[in-house]
Amino acid sequence: MLDAQSEAGQPLRPCFTLAGVRRGIIEILPVAAFLIPFGIAFGVAASAKGVGAEVSLLMSMTVYAGAAQFAVLDLWYAPLPLVTIALTVLAVNARHLLLGAALAPWLLQIPLGRRLAALLLLSDANFAYAMSARDRGEIDAGILFGSGIAMWVIWIAGTVVGAFAGALLGDLSRFGFDAVMVTYFAAIVVGQWKGRPDLVPWIAAAVVALVGSHLLPAGWHVIAGALAGGLVGAWRHG
Amino acid sequence: MAEQGVAIGAVLLMTLVTVATRFSGVWIMSFVAITPRIEAFLKYLAVSVLISIVVPATLNASPRIWLAVAAAAIVMATTRSALGAMLVGAALAAAVRNFTTL
Repeated sequence: MLDAQSEAGQPLRPCFTLAGVRRGIIEILPVAAFLIPFGIAFGVAASAKGVGAEVSLLMSMTVYAGAAQFAVLDLWYAPLPLVTIALTVLAVNARHLLLGAALAPWLLQIPLGRRLAALLLLSDANFAYAMSARDRGEIDAGILFGSGIAMWVIWIAGTVVGAFAGALLGDLSRFGFDAVMVTYFAAIVVGQWKGRPDLVPWIAAAVVALVGSHLLPAGWHVIAGALAGGLVGAWRHG
Repeated sequence: MAEQGVAIGAVLLMTLVTVATRFSGVWIMSFVAITPRIEAFLKYLAVSVLISIVVPATLNASPRIWLAVAAAAIVMATTRSALGAMLVGAALAAAVRNFTTL
């Protein structure tokens, strides 16, 4: 397996290899496994709203964005409000723009086709994973695509179970699944702490996001908080 | 069935919008020179996205999620294992749910 360091100890240039894809699949699997109950929850919620199993399955395969998929369920009535659906998906997924921008210094150094592959299955969780891997010296953007594939397959599998058999499973919070993603993201955040200079930008992000979560339409507090943290960081340390 | 056709069209529309959000961040940055200031912005942007998800999702949830996240943060700070932190946090959330009234 290729190492992230050359023999002289210098970091190599960013790349995208099959070995990286494989590594991404394997390393995200323990986290991705916990996506199953969320996929099930989506399948259950969709069928409860009268969305056909084949439509919710198609949605998980092609959209593959949990928060947006849950958000549109409230809009799933006849005739379908297509403009409202599109704007809602844009609002909830606009944070992908920021994830992509944050990955730009890395991904702009690899060829276009592979860059798009790395971005195709981007989500909060594989972004969090890739960011902490990058921090450890990972240069292979294949891990983004690999971790995306693993999570995508599991999201689809969960949706299938939920859409066809969800009603039999009951309330899943008794297993603590509802705490999985927030604890994983919290751990990644703690791992990113580099010392005192981080304090003010982090507080700016947290405060703006928290206030925004009570004032802004669904999803926008993440964008507001992320921009606040980024701007304060650039202002103090740029 | 016409209704089914519209539903599939709506899903494809959602897909187009979502893929556009995934591709456009890097595309927009390809027109921006990455100066030290922009680099600092992107570095803090990256962690701030996750902070902005975690902090409201935790504080706006029940005390059992507060406990789970606090435990995960402590495990991460001491062991540097995000996976271990997640497992401890989720196990604690499950235990609190099943054995207390929180």
